[in-house]
This record gives sequence, C-alpha cells and structure tokens, in this order.
Amino acid sequence: MRRPLPLLLLAIGAIYGAWAIAHGSPYTLRVLSVAGIYALLALGYLMIFGQAGALALSSGTFMGIGAYAAGIAAARYGIGFDLALPLAVGLPVLLAALVAIPVLRLQTHYFALATLIISQIALLVATEWVGLTGGANGIGGIGGLTLAGFPIRAGWQSLALVWSAVAVGGWLAARMTGGLAGAGFAVMRADGATARAIGLDTDALRFAAFLASAAYGGFAGALYVHTIRVVSPDVLGFPVMVTCLTIAVVGGRRRVAGAIGGAVLVTLLPEWFRALRDYYLLAYGAILLAVIVLLPEGITEAAETLLARLLRPAPAPLPPALPVPPIAVTRGPLLEIDALTRSFGGLRALDDVSLRLAPGEVLGLIGPNGSGKTTLLNCVTGLYRPDAGRIRFLGADITRLPTHAIARAGLARTFQTVSLVAEMSALDNVAIAVEAASVGLLRALGGTGPQFTRARGIARTLLEAAGAAEVAQLPAGSLAYGIRRRVEIARALALRPRLLLLDEPAAGLNETEQADLAARLRDLAQGGLALLVIEHNMPFLLPLADRMICLDHGRVIASGSPAEIQSDPLVIEAYLGRGAA
Amino acid sequence: MDLGQIVFNLLALGAAYALVALGFVLILNATGAVNFAQGDLVMAGGFAAVSFASMLDWPGVLLLPLVMAGLALVGVAVALVAYLPLRRRPPESVFISTIAVGIIAQNAATLGFGAQARAAPPLLPGGDGPGQKLAIILVAAALIGALYVMFMHTQTGRRLRATAQDRDIAAAIGIRVDAMVIATFAVAASLAGAAGLLLANLFFVTPVDGANYILKAYIAVTIGGWGSIAGAVTGALLIALFEVLWPALPLLLPGLDAISGAFSQTMSTIALDIVILLLLMLRPQGLFGQAARSRA
Amino acid sequence: MLLEIENCFVSYGQIAALRGVSLGVPAGGAVALLGANGAGKSTLMRTIIGLLRPRAGRIRFAGTDITALPAASRARLGLGYCPEGRRVFPGLSIRDNLLVACWAGRAERARRLEQMFTLFPALGERPGANAWQLSGGQQQMLAIGRSLMNAPRLLLLDEPSLGLSPRLTEEVLGRIPQIVASGTAVLLAEQNAARALSVCGHGSVLRLGELVLAGPAAELAASPDIRRAFLGG
Repeated sequence: MRRPLPLLLLAIGAIYGAWAIAHGSPYTLRVLSVAGIYALLALGYLMIFGQAGALALSSGTFMGIGAYAAGIAAARYGIGFDLALPLAVGLPVLLAALVAIPVLRLQTHYFALATLIISQIALLVATEWVGLTGGANGIGGIGGLTLAGFPIRAGWQSLALVWSAVAVGGWLAARMTGGLAGAGFAVMRADGATARAIGLDTDALRFAAFLASAAYGGFAGALYVHTIRVVSPDVLGFPVMVTCLTIAVVGGRRRVAGAIGGAVLVTLLPEWFRALRDYYLLAYGAILLAVIVLLPEGITEAAETLLARLLRPAPAPLPPALPVPPIAVTRGPLLEIDALTRSFGGLRALDDVSLRLAPGEVLGLIGPNGSGKTTLLNCVTGLYRPDAGRIRFLGADITRLPTHAIARAGLARTFQTVSLVAEMSALDNVAIAVEAASVGLLRALGGTGPQFTRARGIARTLLEAAGAAEVAQLPAGSLAYGIRRRVEIARALALRPRLLLLDEPAAGLNETEQADLAARLRDLAQGGLALLVIEHNMPFLLPLADRMICLDHGRVIASGSPAEIQSDPLVIEAYLGRGAA
Repeated sequence: MDLGQIVFNLLALGAAYALVALGFVLILNATGAVNFAQGDLVMAGGFAAVSFASMLDWPGVLLLPLVMAGLALVGVAVALVAYLPLRRRPPESVFISTIAVGIIAQNAATLGFGAQARAAPPLLPGGDGPGQKLAIILVAAALIGALYVMFMHTQTGRRLRATAQDRDIAAAIGIRVDAMVIATFAVAASLAGAAGLLLANLFFVTPVDGANYILKAYIAVTIGGWGSIAGAVTGALLIALFEVLWPALPLLLPGLDAISGAFSQTMSTIALDIVILLLLMLRPQGLFGQAARSRA
Repeated sequence: MLLEIENCFVSYGQIAALRGVSLGVPAGGAVALLGANGAGKSTLMRTIIGLLRPRAGRIRFAGTDITALPAASRARLGLGYCPEGRRVFPGLSIRDNLLVACWAGRAERARRLEQMFTLFPALGERPGANAWQLSGGQQQMLAIGRSLMNAPRLLLLDEPSLGLSPRLTEEVLGRIPQIVASGTAVLLAEQNAARALSVCGHGSVLRLGELVLAGPAAELAASPDIRRAFLGG
C-alpha cells in the first residue's frame, strides 16, 4: 500500500457517515451535506492554489455565481437542480476564461488583488441588481435537490447525493493531480523556467487549472443553493473564500484527501466546539495561524510523512525498461544565430553575436563573469526575447517561439544549478520530460496511467545510460550533487534533442565526477548530438570541445580550436588583464 | 454641497486612506510580503479610540498618541507571531498568516464591542463642522510629514529604507535586520491606528470594516506603483477623489441627473474596481511606477 | 594577522564551494584573491562577512573568533564589505547610501562623508542623486565608499572591476593604494589578475574551491602557474 492515508480517512469517513445516517439528527445530516459542498469547492481550489500555485481569491465567488445561477433558475423559471447544472457550472467557467486571459499572467500579489476585485464586483452586483437577485435579501423558497426529475429528499438522500458528487469530484481531481499532470504541476511549482525548458506548456496548465476551479466552484454552488434553499449575497462574501483557503491550508493544499478532510474538519469544528460559541471564530483564526506557522504543508501531508516513517512503504516497482525512440539524423547546419542583440536597461548583454553549430559538434562557450553567456542561452531557449537578430534551428526560425515549443523541437538545456523537483523520484523527474508534450488536464481526465508507465520505462533506460539507474526510485532531493547532475542530463535527453545546451555542467563536481561526465558527453556527441557547453573549468572543457568561442562584454572576441583560444591574446587579456600575456 | 466642501471632504478622506496605504507599503517594502491584516489594524485602531474615549473624556487629538502607541504594540506582536516564523517561506505564507491575524482581530472586536457601529470622538472638542475636517487633514499631514522626516533624515530612517531595499547588504553593513522589520511593523500598525481613529470619526467603525480598508490600501499601492511610498499617498488621494467626485457628479453637472442611479456609492466602487482591473491589465507597473520591481 | 581563516569548508546544499581554505591578511596589508569565475572567491568573501556559514573551520578577526557572529556584528567590529555587483541601495541618495553604513556620532559621520567626497570626487558632485541614476563606475565607487564609511580595519572588495570598462577598472583599482596607505587592510577578489597583483603586496589563487597558489605579488605575477590556474593547459 503506497498511500495508506486516503484509505484510512475513507474508512473513518464511511463509519462516521453510516453512524450519522442511522443516528444523526436532520441538522447533523445537513451540516454533513454542507461539509461535502465545501469539499467540492476545496477540490477546485486544490487545482489553482495547490497544484498551479496561484494565490487566487476568487474561488468563493465562483461558488456564489453558481449558487445564484441555480437559485435564479429555480425560483424564477422553475428549473431544477440537474437541469440548471450546465448554467451553474458554465457561467463561472465562462467568467474564469474571460478574466484569465489578462489576469492569469500577473505576479502573485497582483493576481491576488485582481481576483479579489472581481469578487468585490460580483458581490456588489448581486446586492444592487435587485430585480434579478433579490438584492440584499436574496431569493428564498428554492426547492430541494432533484435528479432526472425525481426529487431528492432532505436528510440521508441529499447527503448521499452530495457525497456521491464529492466521490466523483475527488476521483476526477485525483486524476488531474496525479499521474503526468500532477508531475507536470510539481515541476511548474518548483521552477517555471525549468518546466517550460522541458517542454511543458505552463500557461495552458495554469489556465486549465483556473477553469477547473471555477467548474468545481459552480457545481458546489448549485448543490449549496438547493440544500440551504435560499441564496443571498452572503454566499459571495469574503468569509466563504476565507473558509476555502482555511480548508486548503489546514487540510493540505496539494492533496485530494486534504481538501475533503479539511472541509469536514473545518465545517464540523464549530459544531464540536459549540460550548465555545462566541469564542469559536476567534479560535478559528488562531487555528489557521497555528497551522500555517507550525504545519505549513497542512495536516494530511504531515500525517503522510508520519505514516511513511512508521510504515516505511516499499517504493513503486520499477517498470520494465523500454528503448528510447530513435531520433532522425539530419544534415546541414543545426543552429544558426545571426547578429543577436539583447540589452538590459542601458547595458548590452549581447552585442551582435553570430555563431553556427553542426550536428555532433561540441562548442565550448567561455568568457569572464557577466560577458553574456547565460543571456545567450536564455535567448536561444526563448526565456528572453532578443532585441534584434535571428535564431534558426534545423532551418526553422525559432526566434519568437515560446520556450516549451523550442524544447519540443529538440533543443534541450540544463541549468547552472540543478533544478530537479526535490520530492519527486529521479525516475519521475525524467519521465515527465519524456511525455511533456501530452501533459494537460483534459487528457489527464481520460487517465494517463499507461502513458506514464511507458514514459517511466523510457526514463529508466535513460537513467541507466546516464549511470543513475540505482537511484531511480529515490527522491531527487536526497541525491548527491554529482548524481543529480546525471539525472538532469538524463531528463534533458528525454526530450530526444538534437542539441543540448549545458550551463556550467562541471560546477560543484569533484575531479572523478568531472572525468565521468566528460566521458559521457563525448559519447553523446559521437552519437550525433550537438553540445553547446558553457564552462569556466578549462581542464574539463578543453579536451571536450571541438571548437570554442569566447565572449566579452557581450561580443564574440575569439573563436577557434581549444589550443588557439588558450593562447589568444584577447582571451588572456579578458581573463587575466592587460599585460598578462 | 459646494465645491469647497467637496474639496475638504476629499482631502480628509484621502489623508486617512493615505495613512492606511502607507502602513501597507512600509511592510511590503521591508518584507516583500502583503500584510493582509492592515485593514483590520485600522479597524482595531477605531475600536481602540472608542474604548479609550469611554475611559477618558478626552478629544480625539489627545487620544491619538495613546491609540498609536497601543497599535504599535499590536504591530510588534503581529511581526513576532505572523511574520518572523515565516520569513524564509514563500510570500503567500505571510499573506495567509496575516489573513488569520485579521480573522482574530475581527472576532476579538465582535466579542469586545458587538457588531453595531461605534463612533470615535472628534479630533477637537465641540461640534461638527468644517473645523473637524480641517483638523483631520492637518493631523494626517503632520503624521505623513513626521514620517517623511524620520525616513529621509534620520539614521533609523535610512536603516529602515536600506533594510527594505537589500536585506543581505543591510546586514553586512551592521544593520540588525529583524529588529528593523519589527520596527517597521510597529510604525505601520501605529499609522493604521491613527487612520482608524480618524475614519471612526468620519464614518463609524464596525468589526467587519477591515476588508474594505485592505482593499483600498492594496489598490492605492497598485495605482501608485508597487513599493513606492510617494505613489501610495498619491494612489490614496486618487481613490478619495474618485469616491467623493463620482457621487457628486450629478450635482456638478446637472445634465447627469437623469441617470443619477449610476452615481451611487456602490456604483462608484464598481467603477473604481473596473478602472483598477483595466490598469492591472494595461499597466501592471502602476500609473507612476517606473517598472514593476519583482520583489514579490 | 588581522584576519585568519583556518581550514574553511562551505557548501551550497550539497555542492562544495570551498574545500579547506586557509588564508591570512596582515594588519595594514593588501592581499589579492585571484581565480576564475566559480573558483569560490565571492563565496569566501560572503563567508568572511557572515552572509554564509562555514560547515567547518574557523574565522578570527583581530584576535576574536567571529565564526558564530551574525553579519551585522562583524560589520560593527570593523569589517567593511563591498559586494560583487555593487548592490548599492538603489532608492537611497548617494549621501544616504554612505551615511547609513556609519555607526559613529553625527559630527564624525559628517567628517567621514567629506572624506569620501575627497576620495571619490564624482560622488560629491550630486550627493542628492539616487544611486540607481548613477553609472556603473559611479555605483562601484559608491559601494566602495559605503564599505569605508565605518572606518573598517579590513576592507573586503569583491570584484570591483566587474562590468566596468578598462579605464574605469583602472580608476577604481587605482584607489586601493590610497586606502591601504590610510591604514585599512584590503582583501581584493579579482579576475583581473595582472591588475590586482599590481596594487597588492600578496596574492592567493583559488581554483575550484581550493587554494592552489600563494605568495608575494611580484613572484606570482611572473609565475607561469597562474595562467595554468585560470586557463588550464
């Protein structure tokens, strides 16, 4: 059993549910229904906040809009819960799609503000547009839940319907947060630039997560309005959002079990602590504060860590190794950079840089600190837009392509500091890059199990080739630095690149590890892969490179064989200062 | 209402908002984090004024130092409980921990004072009148002026600013960074306290007011350019201008009477919200910001 | 020795950046710390001022063990730090950038400010200008000035020539003899080996986190080993 906690919680929940249905008062059953509704809301919030890592403050509003849509449909037009669902889910999703385009790319705090403002507008409109919404009093007399025309009675029937929805919603959320999509989200949270560099379309992922959160919110709202039987501006108020945030933080923001368990806990706590009555809300704030300070990952993740320590579960078995699909061999120039220029403020970081790279060639790129080497790499991989100049790869112009498209075209890179996802296994770190192009929430809904298994099989082969097979199942964060470097190179190769850009690959390696890395890189080059290597470590680079280029102040000051570069007076001056030659 | 009165109202409101926004931006600069409890500290300042007034029969202007000192202590507590333990975590942790502080403050106020609206005593003894508005403007201007002098012309002010701009280097030139951050929270909270006293007299104070004020501060700082202190004051004045002028438009331009429904207080808030959303989309660096500094 | 570093090991996570470095700076002396990019120069500087903690080893300054002291205390003991990439406080004026780093009384502060304006006349021209408005060279002088404002006994200068034109490099490094003459010891980290050795009495060479060469500046400058340490071969 790899994940004992969800099963444990499920068992406790089932027993408690059975007890409540047998002995609970109608009031208890209604509170449990509301808990289920909040669980659905929190499952949506899990997507945008927990998985995509965006601090959205609009999920409560999506639920409120769903509630108003279903409530108005029922009270004004007599449309029941089930028939109004497309509207109750569709309206928040539509709104999310509209605001996402301009708002979703904003930085953390601006995004939080933008979503907060959208929430305030929704609340004010609901309060003011009396003709449609009933104003501050809202709309009462809304009927109970219905399903395919049949009324669902309050009490255990409603409870069963709500919790069936939670079960389905939880299962779908587990699909969207597990497997390939979950791994994709993990890479994106760890470092957005890395995620794009291994071919993940992070913008699309974040957009889909935002829409999913709106859909869950709208569904929860429709259930809510038919359970409470009234709709009023309260449902659009900030306290709903705060409850949602509290559930996520207390329960555990990245786990399906955390969203559901957190919702039950946060809804039932006030019932259990009725004696505290007035002080309860005070305690509520104190609990939120204590959890964020003491258990920043939430209760479920803390419990999971604890259980893992107690049970020491065996890691998932390694999948059978699969061959890496071959790469078509091409002739002609691979990378052509012409007159590339990029400035930061007044400083020209790259000034009219041109270079060529042929298949199978190893080009060493050197230059003093601040000479523009990493800027060049960032321009080639699309992280920066050049101000002028052109980059062609395999004959196609890639100057303005987004990073993930460049990566998928066969141009892979490693970073100065190894950027693997620490808590993910080495195998999965590589597997996600194998299938980066097919990571998406819609695809995740259909299940990505077989794909992920195949990707892991290929990843295993890549890790074996990189000399890291024995650590495949260990979390990447636990590995020694030299091994992590190998895993990172295996991940880059998972893109099946024609060209690999390496930014200081030998940094932090001891001499044995350096020699090993050099030998592996040479093998790769002999297999037809072109390498562009930035390195300061000359004993490492000189024997490896076929040709070298030296940058200084953003310009190419020398180009030639390693021996020529080594004795070039301009290079010596750039490094050692005038008169040193 | 004549134009002079409108200008007076505008400046009084803008001055109070400016104090709120200043507290917000000081903490933002010093920590890189949003203090979501800033609005609730304003509310707490209002209730502090109400409770001091019930004990001492003093005018607001004498209560002001008491309220500011009390809130400074609250600010230190917020720094110790909700900021320092999380200083090495991503900024949204502080966002959430200060939301929790806000919930605590809001419910403590409900327990202590009930849900009904209370009013703080006016700054000057005596009745309502333009004199009170003028006093508010003068008090706020004096506070902002004192803050300006402290920040720009004292060693402590220089150290606070240096800490806000580069913590590592501040430490490397001898500044005790954590002490500076705690001091910043104290200053920011006492500004919120002053704003709370003024606003609790201009309007009323209820325990749920915080959400409104935090949004105003957030918006003022966004308009003014994330992290800019002068921008925060300007942004606050612009919000006040918007809030005072929008409902007054039909009075100033009689032709608009026909659609007077569009000039309610609520419509002014919605209009402001839409303007801010457009601003965020088109100029995320703020109206006056040079370039968005990505300290977030 | 004013500064003594004994067998220091520093890591970033699991990456070893310094492996057993020992180094001394005599009172009133000037030592050049040489090495290519990534050799560990900045790491050593940051460790001395206290922004990084060594995993093992000791640092003594003026007879006191400062290994466990926070950076702020070290600065107040008389260590001046001029970081790589200048890192002046962009929103503070030239005057405030200098004043903020001084822990002496008001009169003494004013005196030192005048001293800095004498040492770097360019700074005295517009003392009210904000630091972000300055050119790279002016920012570098401001950063050096800031690190001198507390009259340190030892000045740590980390790559002052970075991003400067040869003429400006000349101008900045040319001030070092003056600083040493006034009684402040200097530890100068530089890639520009020839120039650094011309203004320092001693030199030490780092390669991949280890000290590989050390000796009097004149000897090092003439040694073929130094080129090997940078460019291999």
